[in-house]
Amino acid sequence: MKNPCYNTPMKNERSSSNSDTKDQPSYRSALKKAAMGMLSLLPMLLAILGLVGLFQVFVTPQMLAKLFSGDALRDTIVGTLAGAVAVGQALISYILGGELLKEGISLYAVAAFILAWVSLGIVQLPAEAEVLGLRFTIWRNLLALIFTPLTAAATVWTLRTFA
Amino acid sequence: MNAAPSEAPRIRWRGRKFLAGVLLLYFFLFLADQHATEAALFKTAKVIAEITPILLIVIFFTALINRLFRPEALAKHLGQESGLRGWLIALFAGILSHGPMYAWYPMIEDLKKHGLRDGLIVTFFYARSIKIPLLPLMIAYFGLGFTVLLSLYTVIASLLQGLILDRLCGRCDEDKEQNDD
Repeated sequence: MKNPCYNTPMKNERSSSNSDTKDQPSYRSALKKAAMGMLSLLPMLLAILGLVGLFQVFVTPQMLAKLFSGDALRDTIVGTLAGAVAVGQALISYILGGELLKEGISLYAVAAFILAWVSLGIVQLPAEAEVLGLRFTIWRNLLALIFTPLTAAATVWTLRTFA
Repeated sequence: MNAAPSEAPRIRWRGRKFLAGVLLLYFFLFLADQHATEAALFKTAKVIAEITPILLIVIFFTALINRLFRPEALAKHLGQESGLRGWLIALFAGILSHGPMYAWYPMIEDLKKHGLRDGLIVTFFYARSIKIPLLPLMIAYFGLGFTVLLSLYTVIASLLQGLILDRLCGRCDEDKEQNDD
């Protein structure tokens, strides 16, 4: 025979759990909704991908590398802006950054470049503004633009001071 | 906040003008330099092939979140009252996420409808600069000290930017709602 003192809380727990999930959509309907959401963004994603292709051909890593002059402060700003314009996998930024270091470009600039490569993106700005709002996009990119050279500077300064 | 369950889903295509502009750009570039434009198209096709699995993962992940968490629970974990837990979720989600930033827009937009705060989005996006699979390569190119410090300062910068944005951008949602209207 079941112990009523044991069964009561179990029953309560189950009913509480049911109330947590009863309003939830089935996984199938949630999947459909998510797929529809992605599908509605398809024109925008295709536009971004089209620009990515253009940038990869017309704005080559070699062209970006030529922008650096050797002056640490100027190159840090150039590195941030070049990283923001560049598109492609982060892996490419490491390889290119390594080559820039060999050519005598400051580590400050290289750090800013590889950080901006991932955190900033000119190509995706219209999509970001459409999806997340113009004001949010402006603030987010402005903050990233300010914090990227600062993060790069803090990294290299700490490395050189304590290493 | 959410559509009624009985409401039939309807696709509202977004970015059509943007796509038309890019297609027009391709057309003019094709007239100017056929070879380079074909190369760009090839690169685009290659990126589409690379990004498709990530987009599928994002769809499955978005559905899973919507299935497992009620809007109130999402708002509790990622909304205005989320506290330290919200910052940590945004930070680790950013570090662990793969693929380009724009692949995550649909999921972020969906979570935003459920109350995701703007500061956490900023933290998520900036924390994506830390790429765990690429850390060995970064160490090989720039050294262990550089990699550890850059990752550490990136975490700090991600959190600071999120906190600053929450202060600065209190009316960003209103701006977005106006855009939607």
